[in-house]
Amino acid sequence: MKNLSMKKAITLILVLAMTVTLFAGCGNESSASNEVTPTAAAEATAAAEATSAPAGDESTGAYYAADATAESIVLDAAAKGQVGNWGLGNEYEVQALLSKYGQPTTYLSQAFDMDGFDDDTILLASAMTYNELGLVKNSYDGAYGYGDSVKYIDMNDEGVAMLEDNIFTTKEFAEANPNTVKAFIYASMQGWQYACEHPEEAAEIVYKYGSSVSSDHQAYMASEVKKLVETDMSGATVTNYGNMDESAMQQTLDLAKQYISLDDSQAADALQALTLADIMDASYWEAASASDGTFDAPEKTDVSIQLKWLPQAQFMGYYVALDKGYYTNVGLNVTIVQGGGDIGETTAVYTGQVDFGVTWVSNLIAANAGGMNLVEISQVFQRSGLVLVYKINE
Amino acid sequence: MSKTTNKRNGKFRTKSISTILYPVLFGVIIVVLWQTQILHKIIGADTFTLPLPGRILGIIQDNVPGIAKNVVATVIVAVGGLILGSLLGYLLAIVATIFPKWGSGGLTIVSAFNAIPIIAIAPILNNLTKDFSKDPNIRSMLAKMLVVMLTCTVSMSINAFRGFNELKPFSEDLMKSYAASKVTVFMKLRIPNSLPYVFTALRVSVPASVISALVSEYFAEYIIGVGRQIRENIVLAQYATAWAYILVACFIGIIMYVILLITEGILLKGRR
Repeated sequence: MKNLSMKKAITLILVLAMTVTLFAGCGNESSASNEVTPTAAAEATAAAEATSAPAGDESTGAYYAADATAESIVLDAAAKGQVGNWGLGNEYEVQALLSKYGQPTTYLSQAFDMDGFDDDTILLASAMTYNELGLVKNSYDGAYGYGDSVKYIDMNDEGVAMLEDNIFTTKEFAEANPNTVKAFIYASMQGWQYACEHPEEAAEIVYKYGSSVSSDHQAYMASEVKKLVETDMSGATVTNYGNMDESAMQQTLDLAKQYISLDDSQAADALQALTLADIMDASYWEAASASDGTFDAPEKTDVSIQLKWLPQAQFMGYYVALDKGYYTNVGLNVTIVQGGGDIGETTAVYTGQVDFGVTWVSNLIAANAGGMNLVEISQVFQRSGLVLVYKINE
Repeated sequence: MSKTTNKRNGKFRTKSISTILYPVLFGVIIVVLWQTQILHKIIGADTFTLPLPGRILGIIQDNVPGIAKNVVATVIVAVGGLILGSLLGYLLAIVATIFPKWGSGGLTIVSAFNAIPIIAIAPILNNLTKDFSKDPNIRSMLAKMLVVMLTCTVSMSINAFRGFNELKPFSEDLMKSYAASKVTVFMKLRIPNSLPYVFTALRVSVPASVISALVSEYFAEYIIGVGRQIRENIVLAQYATAWAYILVACFIGIIMYVILLITEGILLKGRR
């Protein structure tokens, strides 16, 4: 009996050893083939050095000089093929920046963490000011703690900014429920106003409603999102929350037409034919911002909003409006539906699973080119929150 | 003798005709229902989320070079991983047969690898292979192949092990009575006996290799492949394009399976 269990134990250990050697085998294999690649690698760096002449001081470290120009950094990182983005419709601003400096628009697929930036496989990594940039710089739990040893290139400064988080619905829903739409915008903007006036409290409220990140990071995010809501692309202060600035929308649409590439020729033609009138309708927001908070009875009282991502301070306005009862004040019963991963907020709104959604304007443009009938009813973020972050030599 | 083979052939032929005809007929009916939008009414879809076959084929026609590039990338990963995984599985089965005491139990534990979801293992392998090459295309191709390899290893090892050990009654005794060495028994009896089992394993592995190649592309560092295109286009709400790539993915799977069946027919001729 005892002997048998001994045998079983030995079997188990042997199998474990077998699997471990298996994996070790993979490792050996990779290190063996590594020896073949140095020539290619050397060529790559040689080519990179040739083009990165403006960056110049490779001698002082592997990264970039603190005073290096955006152009020299983009040229160097693009030559090395180490510009990162998440793709999936988030890449157009980065592609516009690469084109601006005459580089091909290819990029590495970046995971939803910053490990690729941390281990130097990505030299110029995409980051949202309110999320990844904080994770890279700050040193709280789950962050990378780079502090001031990283700098970033801001899309707004480079003139390739596209508008991001908005509120949208379908044209049919907006036409059938104008009072609901106006009341929803009004209460949401009340929420955003309160959240921007009290970012710390807003962060706590979001954290309470379910959070994908730590409360420290939530507080950081709230303070950064406030900047995006209250500053436009040129850096001027915006006081009317949710304002739909036509020139910024036009810039977004123009860049979208250039960089959204669609295999479907029918959709590609539709994209080129889109005008601002096809993607936005400012009348609901204008009525809401002129209102004193009293609306005709909403046509639909139970409404839902699909977020683009997990619950976090990026969406603090809606959580504050819900928590402070702003939605109930205008007679609405609002459900906030969280997103994440591959949630298609445009599809969710289009199919009627939810009534409102938060998406990036470029995603709304792509969806309408594909045949959806979506309309932006308010623009929450007034400037781009996307930056390209890089390490500097110390 | 010739009469019996004729009879068998004739029977085989009518059987294979009906096995091909009925599914094809079913497929044609579905396509007709789909194109005439009756299918949309039945399942309550619209032409946006379920575009018409004509439109889907049009997109494929318009983008042949782009699609070909992605197909090549996916097929390399699927076939490469399939070969790696099958060889590894076969080797494991040989090792397990040489050491029968812990071999069969060991294989059961190895089969636990099959339970690891691809979406969990793919990002991990991505990180593990980062030092492999400076070229992201090459290193992410390796990561994807390793994912496919893991999904293909287990079915091969278990089936090949059965092939090595489920011998015809007394055949091993016969070999022993000829005083055949263990090596001879392996070469002359066990390996030929395992061949049909290898194909049983491949019938599972070939579709699995295509599926895991498609999913592993979601997470790869270098953006290429049919699976990645499906994901990109669905997120961008380009359903017609996504369907075009889904159709292409189906064809990859079907063609690989047909190649397998033909190879099997040639190699196992007269053995079944």
